[in-house]
Amino acid sequence: MRPSASPSHAGKPVKSKEFVVSRLVKDLALNRYLYIMMIPVLAYYILFQYGPMYGAIIAFKEYSPIKGILGSDWVGLTHFQSFFESYYFWRILKNTLLLSLYSLCFEFPAPIILALLINEVRNKRFKSIVQSVTYMPHFISLIVICGIIKDFTNSGGLINTFITYLGGDGQAMLQKPELFRSIYIISDIWQGMGWTSIIYLAALMNVDQEQFEAARIDGAGRLRQIWNVSLPGILPTIIIMLILRIGNLLSVGFEKIILLYNPAIYDTADVISSFVYRKGLLEFGWSYSAAVGLFNSVVNLILLVLANRLSKKFSENSLW
Amino acid sequence: MRKTKTSLLAAVLAVFMILVSVTTACSSNSEETGQSSNSPTQSAAPQDNSNEATTYPIQTDKNLTYWAGINSNLAGIRSSLDEVPFFQEWQKRTGVPLTFISPTAGQQKEALNVMLASGEMPDVIEYSWISFPGGPEKAIKDGYIISLNELIDQHAPNLKKYLEEHPEVDRLVKTDTGNYYGFPFIRGDESLLVFQGPIIRQDWLDELGLEMPTTIDEWYTVLKAFKEKKGATAPLSFLSEGRLAALGNGAIIGAFDINQGFYLDNGQIKYGPAEPRYKDFLATMSKWYAEGLLDKNIATTDQKTLDANIISGATGVSLGNAGSQLGKWTPLLSEKDPRAVLAPAPYPVLNKGDVPRFGQLDNAFAVNGTAAITSKSKNPELAVKMLDYAYSEEGHMLFNFGIEGVSYTMENGYPTYTDLMMKNPDNLAPAQALSLYIRGNYFGPFVQDKRYSEQYNVLQSQKDSIEVWKTDAKSTKLPPITATPEESTELAKIMTDVDTLVNEMTLKIILGSEPLSSYESYMKKMETLNFDRAIEIQEAALDRFNKR
Repeated sequence: MRPSASPSHAGKPVKSKEFVVSRLVKDLALNRYLYIMMIPVLAYYILFQYGPMYGAIIAFKEYSPIKGILGSDWVGLTHFQSFFESYYFWRILKNTLLLSLYSLCFEFPAPIILALLINEVRNKRFKSIVQSVTYMPHFISLIVICGIIKDFTNSGGLINTFITYLGGDGQAMLQKPELFRSIYIISDIWQGMGWTSIIYLAALMNVDQEQFEAARIDGAGRLRQIWNVSLPGILPTIIIMLILRIGNLLSVGFEKIILLYNPAIYDTADVISSFVYRKGLLEFGWSYSAAVGLFNSVVNLILLVLANRLSKKFSENSLW
Repeated sequence: MRKTKTSLLAAVLAVFMILVSVTTACSSNSEETGQSSNSPTQSAAPQDNSNEATTYPIQTDKNLTYWAGINSNLAGIRSSLDEVPFFQEWQKRTGVPLTFISPTAGQQKEALNVMLASGEMPDVIEYSWISFPGGPEKAIKDGYIISLNELIDQHAPNLKKYLEEHPEVDRLVKTDTGNYYGFPFIRGDESLLVFQGPIIRQDWLDELGLEMPTTIDEWYTVLKAFKEKKGATAPLSFLSEGRLAALGNGAIIGAFDINQGFYLDNGQIKYGPAEPRYKDFLATMSKWYAEGLLDKNIATTDQKTLDANIISGATGVSLGNAGSQLGKWTPLLSEKDPRAVLAPAPYPVLNKGDVPRFGQLDNAFAVNGTAAITSKSKNPELAVKMLDYAYSEEGHMLFNFGIEGVSYTMENGYPTYTDLMMKNPDNLAPAQALSLYIRGNYFGPFVQDKRYSEQYNVLQSQKDSIEVWKTDAKSTKLPPITATPEESTELAKIMTDVDTLVNEMTLKIILGSEPLSSYESYMKKMETLNFDRAIEIQEAALDRFNKR
């Protein structure tokens, strides 16, 4: 995203302020079309991405739409305090983190494995059918997915009919706290695996075919090739995706949760966002929700930076 | 080279995703609003202190915006209120052109939330303002809606007259400090106040030679018989959003002399789950669940599942409304099984012969559909005049019976619905046809007429239900009390936590994932949630109400 300044100045020590200004003017003149082309993009980010962020200050205010964002009264950290002191704070934090970690362990590798498998398929037709079939669930609306999950998991649903057929005991699965995380993660994998695998497939395309050839000549089998050629080839992409994923550790969306949960499974299903939905949104607590949102964003940002730094240190891959 | 290529792709993706996540984190909180803080005074409006009745149609070139939901009966028939004959006629009669804004069905609260946050408000908002977070008083204080006292006094002679003649209603429709905040929906007759209760398969009872059950023990016998002899897989099933929502008015739980939420006990405010008898209720329910008498999916039963359960004969006893459930299920069920008969059953009690103390009973001021005027309205006076029409003689007929000669005819002084309503040529159910021409069958800012329900409840079982579902709920029902704006925040904060706790405890014990004995430990936790303070706030609110 950085303006492509002319490289000739690189490395020169900055002597004085005037020097910087004159250099900038010179560069502006030299690359003026590049700068002009950048204006719309810059304007977009300032207007639509950075501008609205000032609204985050309502987290420290008692926001009232009539008074406006600036006119509302300051209340300091009251909303943060009431969130941290909430009776359920530790439970929802734990549930959020666990759900995120499970998704990191099981959901994250799934598309990589799928992409590697698809990549090994030599029959073009079969390959494209598999790809289309696996993306398909991505396009089904979440509310429909949740309807399907509910129908499948109730005591007379598909899964239970199958279990009873095998001699097991049918039960309403969404009423069992211990099953919720599995249902959530498995359905997530089913829905998202195909779509996410596109990124890895694209990365696999870029792996040099000559390397495969060389490996084959050296006598490497399929698995060896995957392990020693394909995987290292897409490692940078994997790492970047992993860093991004870690940066979202605290954000578990409320939509799927509130469509699936019920009080009997709050123990495992209630997460920060669903709690805020109940407490903040339905009570018109704009400021409270903003405070929690801000807390989430800050924690996520810190995690992202940390993950990036670690990755830089150990694998030489990083976001910036 | 290859590596740079992939990392470039990745970097682009990365930046994109960061921005997405940052914006989603902030965008929901940063709705920009107009800075103008319109003070809710009407001083700008021309003061004419005439207290004369308005002549309709009003001559005006002004246009009002009106926010109201579309009744669910109209789903699939009309997509906006402009197209509904009732609303067209209403505009014609009052002479005030209206622009309607309707939220998505089932998302009223969210839609209102977003609209208020945006600061863009219509002239009139129809909503159950009593359930506005912090109560109507706060809505006025925060400057969303205006106090209507002066405006009603000067420009709404019809409503004023009604309230003067009915002081008991007058007391319900204003706030503790005496502010009128909206044009209310008033149920104009005692017989309109009861419309919900237990519903049972009468044909199964007859077939098995069982009496209509009245006590919890008899219910147990009946449910067991339904399960064992009629093959019902979910003998008792009902809506269960949150904490067994369908029991909210006191069905079943009322037999244990308590209710689900706050209620009155000899003038004292009590909270059902905090009473020791709640444990008896839980014991009974968990026993029923364990024996397969209560729907196995009780924590997730929604309207769709319940309908399917009733129609397929999986369920023999449920809870519902005379109109929207009994009226809907009866024809659907008899289509499948011509011998099937659904009948209203009395609210169960513990000892035979007792009168149930709890049950559904609406206040004369029903909370839905209160039309309030917003602070952003430039013509509050016109809006008041327009809304007052509904409380006039003529308006009363329009709201309850529609257009004479089209939706009703006068027969011996009795407004009788035409066949267009009751035997619709386009095969619309009466509920749907009526919703096109009247508001009497749901709610809105007017006085409901009992002659509507006399005709609307066509089934004998519906007519019987009013008598069968009679309870002593009047003595235990909490009037529409509201906490002060300051206290309401505190109350909401406590009650969200308490609700979470109680919902969870109730379902876990009933489903058997925790033993009955854990009730005590939950009660201990509840103390730490500062529950006593909630009772205090509610008591203070009741005091203020009693002093009105």
